[in-house]
Amino acid sequence: MTTAVDDDLWSAIGDPTRRRMLDLLLTEGAGTATTLSRQLPVTRQAVAKHLGVLDRAGLVRATPAGREKRYQVDDAELERAAAQLAAVGAEWDARLNRIKRIAEAIQTKRSDNG
Amino acid sequence: MAIQSIERELYIEASPDVVFEVVSDPEHVRHWWPDEARYKVIPGTPGEIVFGDPEAGGKVVALTVVEARPPESFSFRWTQPGGEPATPGNSLLVTFDLVPSGEGTLLKFSETGFREEEVRADHVNGWDYFLPRLAPYIATVGVRP
Repeated sequence: MTTAVDDDLWSAIGDPTRRRMLDLLLTEGAGTATTLSRQLPVTRQAVAKHLGVLDRAGLVRATPAGREKRYQVDDAELERAAAQLAAVGAEWDARLNRIKRIAEAIQTKRSDNG
Repeated sequence: MAIQSIERELYIEASPDVVFEVVSDPEHVRHWWPDEARYKVIPGTPGEIVFGDPEAGGKVVALTVVEARPPESFSFRWTQPGGEPATPGNSLLVTFDLVPSGEGTLLKFSETGFREEEVRADHVNGWDYFLPRLAPYIATVGVRP
């Protein structure tokens, strides 16, 4: 069968810049658009936009910090995201192993007959 | 924007001809994936795969063959809404590339999906990049009081 993966979640982590932002937030515990933009080759405005996408997908949580917002990774949502990603990969692993078994059985049979 | 990208490589002790049959022929496909597979191995012809009993909570999913080049490559699109032609914007693309290797075959598998027209130049593989970073992190989350 197929595992359903939230579109929002896939879209959120499908972007390399957003994945780097998640990485930075995990490493540093928290960050603002300003602190993140210093470490990324994109503008503060672009970072703020990406943070909005991550926020809507539930992957980060914002708290007010002066004139900016301070973002932290949401542990539970990140675990859920990882579980969904791993499940889709695991399903294909199982299918590929069945392909291998079937093909090798056919090959053995043909070699025996030849 | 890529929403999904899975890549795998697998060595199979069988000739590319045999592996091609197993990954493409609906008679074989229903032994490793759905309960029923109804499609023609002809590019562009609409078909479907069935999981379980559609009368009792099962599911019918659209599948269209994109390319069939025995014994080198087989690809199809699936999950597009029923009745609609499969396009990069509404479906997932599954590709099997078969490379002769010694006595057997190296099977290169990928599944990718795109929800926006723009296909990124930098094909950062979400899986390779994201999961190795998550695993150690999740381990630490798990032991937190």
